[in-house]
Amino acid sequence: MKKNIFSTNKVQLLIFLLPAFLIVLLFYIIPIIITVYVSFTPMRNWNIDKYFNVIVGLQNYNRLFSLITRDPVARQVVMNTVVFVAITLAINVLGGLGLALANFFIDERVSTGFRTLWLLPRMTPIAVYGLLWYYFFHGSSIGMLNSIAMSLGLIKKPIAWGQEVIPWGPWSIIIIVNGFVGVSFGMVIFYSALKSIPRELIIAARVDGASNWKLTTNILIPLLRWHLLFVTTWQLLSLLTTYAHTFLLVEWGVVSRTYGQTWALYVFNTAFGRGEQDQGLAAAAAVILVIFGAILGWITVRALGFNKMITKPKGDI
Amino acid sequence: MMQLWDVEVKSRKIEIVLILAVFLASLPLILNYGLLILSSFSTEMVTNLDPTSFRPTIDNWILLFEGRLSVTGGVREDVVRYTINTAIVALGVAGVVVLVSVMAGYAMSRMNFKGRSLIMQMILLLHAFPGVALIIAVYLIFRATLPSDIELARIYSFAYVIVARAALEIPMSIWLIKGFFDRVPWEVEWAAIIDGASRLRVWREVMLPMVKPGIAAIAIFAFLAGWEDLIYVRTFLFDRTLATYIESNINVEFAYMPLLAAAGTLYLLPTILFFILTQRLLLETSTGGIKG
Amino acid sequence: MVSVRLEKVTKKFGKVVAVNNVDLEIEEGEFMALLGPSGSGKSTLLYLIAGIYKPTSGKIFFDDRDVTNLPPRERNVGLVFQNYALYPHMKVFDNIAFPLKIKKVPKEEIRRKVFEVAKLLRIEHLLDRYPGQLSGGQQQRVAIARALVKEPQVLLLDEPLSNLDALLRVSVRSELKRLQKNLGITAIYVTHDQAEAMALADRIAIINEGVIQQVDLPEVVYNRPKNMFVGGFIGNPPMNFVEAGVEYNETVKLIVGEDSVWLPQEYIEILRKLKLQKVVLGFRPEDVLVLKDERQVEPGSSVIRGEIFTVEPMGREVLLTVMIGETMVKVYAPPTQYYSMGDKVFLQINPAKLRLFDPDTTIALEYLVKT
Ligand SMILES: Nc1ncnc2c1ncn2[C@@H]1O[C@H](COP(=O)(O)OP(=O)(O)OP(=O)(O)O)[C@@H](O)[C@H]1O
Ligand SMILES: [Mg+2]
Repeated sequence: MKKNIFSTNKVQLLIFLLPAFLIVLLFYIIPIIITVYVSFTPMRNWNIDKYFNVIVGLQNYNRLFSLITRDPVARQVVMNTVVFVAITLAINVLGGLGLALANFFIDERVSTGFRTLWLLPRMTPIAVYGLLWYYFFHGSSIGMLNSIAMSLGLIKKPIAWGQEVIPWGPWSIIIIVNGFVGVSFGMVIFYSALKSIPRELIIAARVDGASNWKLTTNILIPLLRWHLLFVTTWQLLSLLTTYAHTFLLVEWGVVSRTYGQTWALYVFNTAFGRGEQDQGLAAAAAVILVIFGAILGWITVRALGFNKMITKPKGDI
Repeated sequence: MMQLWDVEVKSRKIEIVLILAVFLASLPLILNYGLLILSSFSTEMVTNLDPTSFRPTIDNWILLFEGRLSVTGGVREDVVRYTINTAIVALGVAGVVVLVSVMAGYAMSRMNFKGRSLIMQMILLLHAFPGVALIIAVYLIFRATLPSDIELARIYSFAYVIVARAALEIPMSIWLIKGFFDRVPWEVEWAAIIDGASRLRVWREVMLPMVKPGIAAIAIFAFLAGWEDLIYVRTFLFDRTLATYIESNINVEFAYMPLLAAAGTLYLLPTILFFILTQRLLLETSTGGIKG
Repeated sequence: MVSVRLEKVTKKFGKVVAVNNVDLEIEEGEFMALLGPSGSGKSTLLYLIAGIYKPTSGKIFFDDRDVTNLPPRERNVGLVFQNYALYPHMKVFDNIAFPLKIKKVPKEEIRRKVFEVAKLLRIEHLLDRYPGQLSGGQQQRVAIARALVKEPQVLLLDEPLSNLDALLRVSVRSELKRLQKNLGITAIYVTHDQAEAMALADRIAIINEGVIQQVDLPEVVYNRPKNMFVGGFIGNPPMNFVEAGVEYNETVKLIVGEDSVWLPQEYIEILRKLKLQKVVLGFRPEDVLVLKDERQVEPGSSVIRGEIFTVEPMGREVLLTVMIGETMVKVYAPPTQYYSMGDKVFLQINPAKLRLFDPDTTIALEYLVKT
């Protein structure tokens, strides 16, 4: 039989991996190099011709640092990020766990409906999802929250919830809006983990007279340890880098820019937002985010033992 | 299906309490979605929970398709065109994602090579990579490579947004489809190889038909990702989609709010449709679409 | 057709040695059964011959051609997998046609060949179905058809009958043997069912823990097992083993408890050469006469006394478990007698059929002197 160049193993492997490799190269590796590079240039307003070849060293990083230490708006970005990530993370993990457990104990026909519903925010077009909450928190009397609060007699006049000078209004809104999206991740992971617990284990506990509560705290949750760790670290990464929903909330004026802008959104708005666009500064802020994310991500992947999940292919063909 | 094995021992009362609790927690979602859809059929917004403001009409939908922003206004918006644009992006993303991940996923699952495990971990990391750090440079490349001919540039912007958006979905899709390949018995692949087929052939004629559910799953996720996208579309695409249409008209809307509710409902429709059709698939594999 | 030869073939998976230094030759047109317990390396050996695994060391030859590093498709082997491995998305016709399609055989010829082999295996009426719509036996025939249609030089079968019911098994296996002989293909047939191996094979190779124990004609393997493993693996119930002392006088005899066992001339000579003080006496359950009364014992023959432990009527025979001292043995007795637990019995062993093994190496004594 004649040897065909396309039939050698190496060549075949390359063919299979080539498209993915090109995509990763063009849309991850090269961009990240460019981003790092741009963070050392005074690039602004996308004026590539003028600024691309100008190197200013660490100037952008210095600017970023002094903004954070001196400028109240920039400092607020850090504060927003910390509050947003911490609270949303807690809501996502605990909420996801609660939903999974509740769904685990209720009839599967009912729980399927609930679980599908909770998945919806994740899949809903961002513009539509933003629209839903836009109406919910609307500052006039058509806003759902306003009309509920007014009919309960809590407030007299409609309130622009996200515009109040206290930060808790805008914070609550971005936490709620993103929380409803993130909760389903934990729910799906925990629920499928619960479902794969051998049922003998549960029946045995039941026979021993364990209540739902005992069953949950003594058996189910300990068995979910890995999943809890995974969801926590993974959500932490996601929350640090997410910005699409919050972008709309800020752009539509549902929440104030000062108290609604997190670090990732700050990067985006600095590069693409209204007014002067400062890509050099944005890139510097992005690089810091990347360093954070990469370290966190690597620890996650190693600590959770993903490398051990990758089994070796069989055969020597 | 009932959990038969647990029926005798679980308490009905606790179950009802739990159902109520989950229902209460779901109430904001149910109301939000329900009232948006309802408002699109009403002359006034019903988001204030006041039943008297519901006056049924289909005018919103007619105006929407006529491309008029309000009963009086003269601005024309080609919503049909926007819908088609959205669909082009979504289908394009689905196509690119499926092709690339189905190839790479096979190699990752079935071929042994140096650094395989490391690459798989890297791919997982890429999925968690801060997208906002990429988009600056990706846009820079876009500007630098944009053709000067305007018609060409429009087409280029479509192609670019599709591939750039697909790139975000590909890492998770590779992991997902790899799982499906992993579950195909080795003997089937070996049988084909002994029968004389090359790996390319085995992949195309034997493996792909056996991972059809997996392909469907990543295709649906990728389609929905392309369909829902706002950031990439508003950054790269010259033409409008439903997302940018809604985004930019939120301020004009005061004149006639329910029209935007109709636009939102229209935009939501395919998502809901997929949900109903592929509920099980989504519930089992939805860990794929990790966002916030 | 070709002969297949393995030279010092070893296959390791990490620390696990699945196949250990195997030398094996299968002649042209021969039907060789590969027999061994689960995990002994049978499938691995087949996959090595097919080219799916590459040996860690050693060489494989088809005739005189070294195929060790040849990819599977250049070896022209047919392999029937333990779980059939049919392509579930293809109809039976396309399953069988697949190897030919790969070889770019013209459409008409494919049709002809598929129908031919389908007829041979009596599955013509199934060609339009999907594998999921077939019974286990039918799927197995499709798998064999797919392996045969490419006219392989070597046919490898990995426990192809293990999923069939007992009745179907018997009929399919005689069919298989007929086919293999008609087509004259060199075949290696993996099984851990020894009755199947006995019924089918020209020769049997017995493997344990990756090491080939014995390769011989079925009756040789049965009657003159090379070591205690083979004796204990072949036969149902397997060979009995009893430890015995050796007494060297004017003649040589074995001492079991207080009984003496006389030996055939062949063994007397061997023992005089080896001068062993202890041996293991092996005998098959059917090579024993069970006597209830000492007076029935023929003078000059040797008996071992024991006590009945359990009685299992099997229809044509009764299977007795007898305690000889601390050792348990199984023997067949005619159902004409009445046996009950605790009865004293006398086991008269057919001297021509008894085997002796070296307790240290477990090798049969006659093989020990040969080597
Ligand atoms: N890909 C592999 N990786 C690691 N170990 C393996 C692999 N394949 C087989 N083994 C080990 O090699 C030994 C022989 O396995 P093999 O499948 O050849 O046994 P077998 O005789 O076919 O058993 P069975 O009768 O159960 O099919 C076993 O201990 C098995 O665990
Ligand atoms: Mg096997």
